[in-house]
Amino acid sequence: MELRIVSKALKYIVIGVFALWTLVPLTWIVSLAFKSYAEWRVSYFVPKNPTVDNFVLLFKPQELLGKYGVMGATAIIESATKPLLNSLVVTVAATVLSVFVGFFTAYGASRYRAPGPFTLFFTLLTRMLPPAIFITPIMVYYSNLGMLDTYFGLVFLYSAVTVTYAIWILKGFIDAIPVEWEEAAMLEGATPTKVLFRVVLPLVRPGLVVAGLFIFLLTWSELLFALVLTNINAVTLSVHISKYVGAVGQLFGPQAALALIGSIIPVVIGYAIQKHLVTGFTFGMVRG
Amino acid sequence: MASVLSMSKEIPRSIKLLATLPLNILLNAILIIPFAIMIYLAFLKWSPAMGIDWWEAPFTGISNFIRALSDARFINALANTVTYTVIVVSIEFFLGLLLAYLMLEEFVGKKAILSLIIYPLMLPPVIVASVFYLMFQPYGPVNNVFLRAVLGEDALRITWFLNPRLAFTALIIADIWQWTPFIFLILYSALSAVPRRLVEAAQVLGASSFTIFWRIRLPLIKPLIIVAIVLRALEAFKMFDYAYLMTGGGPGISTETISLYIYRVSVLYTDISYAAAMSLIVLVMLAIVIRLFIWYFFERVR
Repeated sequence: MELRIVSKALKYIVIGVFALWTLVPLTWIVSLAFKSYAEWRVSYFVPKNPTVDNFVLLFKPQELLGKYGVMGATAIIESATKPLLNSLVVTVAATVLSVFVGFFTAYGASRYRAPGPFTLFFTLLTRMLPPAIFITPIMVYYSNLGMLDTYFGLVFLYSAVTVTYAIWILKGFIDAIPVEWEEAAMLEGATPTKVLFRVVLPLVRPGLVVAGLFIFLLTWSELLFALVLTNINAVTLSVHISKYVGAVGQLFGPQAALALIGSIIPVVIGYAIQKHLVTGFTFGMVRG
Repeated sequence: MASVLSMSKEIPRSIKLLATLPLNILLNAILIIPFAIMIYLAFLKWSPAMGIDWWEAPFTGISNFIRALSDARFINALANTVTYTVIVVSIEFFLGLLLAYLMLEEFVGKKAILSLIIYPLMLPPVIVASVFYLMFQPYGPVNNVFLRAVLGEDALRITWFLNPRLAFTALIIADIWQWTPFIFLILYSALSAVPRRLVEAAQVLGASSFTIFWRIRLPLIKPLIIVAIVLRALEAFKMFDYAYLMTGGGPGISTETISLYIYRVSVLYTDISYAAAMSLIVLVMLAIVIRLFIWYFFERVR
């Protein structure tokens, strides 16, 4: 009996330690984001004079950088407004395209074996390889096409590398729909296309949402492609975040504030599809 | 899916078009053409600085590949990446499994704890890198709060990113922080799905909960353990964001990963044809692993 209590206590301690370890970076970032310039390098977690200066600086860098005596940084650090909007536009567009293409493919794969297994495995392969492998040819190809630093370039690339998630997540959802309903519609004379749009599409709507949110999460997080393919016009939030690291004057406070802002959307989305995260991350190999 | 629909062999033309055409256009235009370009580039000597277009560049046979295999920095990057992958996957697997085991039974507040420990998974790696860059600053909380409690004032002199070992450790810590929940979540889902009756039958026979875990649950989820490890290893092998932001591959090239090195050769040194050759080498290496994995998971059973 005593052994039981000890082992139970040990179990809670381990879980507690792990929860704490998960929480510390979050707490530190929240605290740092609200600390004033003088407190960026101190050890306590609770800011003495909480301020929103760091957040203001992100969007109006010129006004506050002078105050910190790091004018050199104005040349590097621009307002976060544009990267934030760029990220939203690119991510939403890429997600919609990816889910759109993925839905048709998933339906074909689930019900008719079209496309064949080779194409499906090819999409898996592209997703499992390091993106760094693709940057060289894509860079050359896009520069020939004039697609560097454009929304289109990023949107198409992001859809191409995430479409495999759309296919595998949606295939799971479509597999779960009783095929008899489609057959019934067909017996009443509906064309295959009509069945697809009128019967399957409404039924699979939750799947579209899950696949879409999951792909949004991945695309929003992407750094390498954006770093290589954008320069001024289409800079995404990830690239903007990377500029703060080691920036002139070491803008720790704003860096933390930006991390906080950049995490809000993905974390909200992540919790919205919490049950499906496993399915998503494993291409449907594991059901959440 | 055995059904009338799939058993009738012919595929309606409209469905075939919808299911294959958009996907093929997207894959061909965005991935396959560049992929072909990459293979071609790998056998050329070309850099934009040469002032000619790549299709006019001189053909140099396999010299790029020979150069890669004798390039100490390429080998270093490969070795770093493999070491990194092995270390993080081992630790994450151990921690993830331990946590999945501990979380199996119901307890008060389990839902909340579960939600809490998986949030790092949702964060963009670039943000995690940025956060851990801040954490590991000489006056950051790692030194200033935690190590200071153990080492005293000396802790403030630890410069994580100027020491090769410590820089590597910092990357590993960031990875473990973010991705242990990944392995945990897969194993936890798999373990929870083990049929209750099997567990109950063993309980009736007097097996301890540890024996049940070791002898019944774990063998049943073996395929999913392999999925978790392989997918995590492939992701760890890609590692770019942490190294790019936290250490910049430094000090020197001590934490340079293969992704970071290819990025630099390609984007900073604009030695395009050489970067293409290195990419191709990595691709062939990984394609073999991935093919085996896909075979294991999708085809072996059927």
